[in-house]
Amino acid sequence: MSAYLHPRRGRVALALLIVAVPLALALLGPLFAGEPGPRATSFTFGDGHWLGTDFVGRDVWRQTLLGGRSVVISALAATALAYLVALPVGLTAALTHRRWLEETLMRPLDVLLAVPSLLLILLVATVLEPGVLGLALLVALVNVPDAARIVRAAAAEAAARPAVEALRMQGESWWRIGVGYVGRSMLRTLAADAGVRLTGVLYLVSTAAFLGIGVTPDAADWAVMVDRNRTGLWVQPWAVVVPALLIVALTMGGNLLVDAGLRKQNTPRRKRI
Amino acid sequence: MSGLRSWLARRLLVGVAQTVAVVLLVFALTEALPGDAAVALAGDQPDPARIAAIREAMELDRPAGARLLDWATGLLHGDLGTSLVSGRPVSTYVADGFEPTLLLAALTLLLLVPAGVGLGVLAASYEGRWPDRVISSVTLGVYAVPEFALGTLLVTVFALRLEWFPPTAVGYGTDLLGHPAALVLPVLVLLSRPVCSLSRLVRAGMIDALASPYTAQARRYGVSGVRVVYAHALPNAVAPAAQQLARTVDWLLCGVIVVEALFVIPGLGTVLMNAVAERDVPVVQGLAVVFGLLTVVLNLGADLVAHRLAPRAEVAA
Repeated sequence: MSAYLHPRRGRVALALLIVAVPLALALLGPLFAGEPGPRATSFTFGDGHWLGTDFVGRDVWRQTLLGGRSVVISALAATALAYLVALPVGLTAALTHRRWLEETLMRPLDVLLAVPSLLLILLVATVLEPGVLGLALLVALVNVPDAARIVRAAAAEAAARPAVEALRMQGESWWRIGVGYVGRSMLRTLAADAGVRLTGVLYLVSTAAFLGIGVTPDAADWAVMVDRNRTGLWVQPWAVVVPALLIVALTMGGNLLVDAGLRKQNTPRRKRI
Repeated sequence: MSGLRSWLARRLLVGVAQTVAVVLLVFALTEALPGDAAVALAGDQPDPARIAAIREAMELDRPAGARLLDWATGLLHGDLGTSLVSGRPVSTYVADGFEPTLLLAALTLLLLVPAGVGLGVLAASYEGRWPDRVISSVTLGVYAVPEFALGTLLVTVFALRLEWFPPTAVGYGTDLLGHPAALVLPVLVLLSRPVCSLSRLVRAGMIDALASPYTAQARRYGVSGVRVVYAHALPNAVAPAAQQLARTVDWLLCGVIVVEALFVIPGLGTVLMNAVAERDVPVVQGLAVVFGLLTVVLNLGADLVAHRLAPRAEVAA
């Protein structure tokens, strides 16, 4: 935070700096990874492996280049999927005039909120082997209740405005009112919530991968690398430290950036927890 | 007072509904899935004898409704079922892992409140100056970091490079209290996220409270700054944070599972992860019900405390 910069801009710059490295590696890394070389001895240095080798003798640098994509893509997909379900549910609950419909849509979600998210994922993982797509679906599912609540609250606020009353009296269609007006006026709240949710999803996706859910044991994934290479921490710490640092930078920088983005908006936002 | 009573009754009812929902959900997710559960559970060793054994042990030939009823009645009597793998009652699994987990959770909660409130008050009393900026940035950053990544880095620095603490709790068994050094890193990792969220809430509440007319009035009366902060502003700032403490229960649970895996602590999280790996459905179910119930009860408790501290605030029922 240099003295010449506004503190907020300093924070944005810092956040961008922190998040840029892992994000660039995650998105562009696979392009530069190249072909897999021959397997070397586990947990060694040298022979062109400048970050050493991992638990089965693969090049750590190549694994690092490949390992970010799954984390970032699953997190983005899970967040998008959560909204895909939460948006119609929350909008319908907010705009309907039938109380029973609102209750049947929202009450079950309230109850779901009580179950710890990782526990739900573990329960399913006991009987099914979810895979990457399955894990993204599961993480999306555990995010639906909270997202739907936010959507409903934001939509209810917009739906209570006089403009909606006027539109209704003009005889505008449900679609035009619901999506055209209410949907558009809650975009800011949703953008803020999506940012917060993305960091939470990133946490859950990587933690599940660390616990071995939704990933193959030898997958090129930063969280899996941290888990599998821990046995060699004493011989070859880079195989663990590099992916762990990248995950820390990704989540930390992401959260700082989201917060800076939120501060710019002057819209009332929900309390961060 | 009738308002409070009806609120209490409603809140208790929600708690009961949540408990029932947890039980139903646990059963539905693990047993009522489409396809042959016995084949799925046999997993890597799908020989017919094993599948038949699983089918018999879990009584999969009976209708799901009847099994659910049996299982739920058992739960009411404190019978959590029997392990598929070892044939031991699930309650012995819970008893085995209970002590280390309770120790970790108790230590974390014990340190969480003073650390979170302290940091929050410190940041608020230097609002906008460098201590506030440092605390705010660090808590905001660390808040989102997964425990396993932070934990491995801490192990690398403090156990591997500096050799201050043992890297894992291997060899200490359940006697963790006898080896306090082995507890430092796990508790530190467990604290990382909740402390950040709590201190941020307390900071926001304190800034509001310190800017309010009643603290200005107290200052005008010549009440000392320290008293204004601790006796007048703090209680009002903590009230909204109390309810959010309930949310941290969810995190603590995730955290305990990860931290026990990371530091090889033989607690409930390790038991759960082993059961998941062995596809030991009754053990997973039993532990899930225990964890779910704990969450429901602690949420209920936190809502009661929040309601007591700030009766005006809308408490989500």
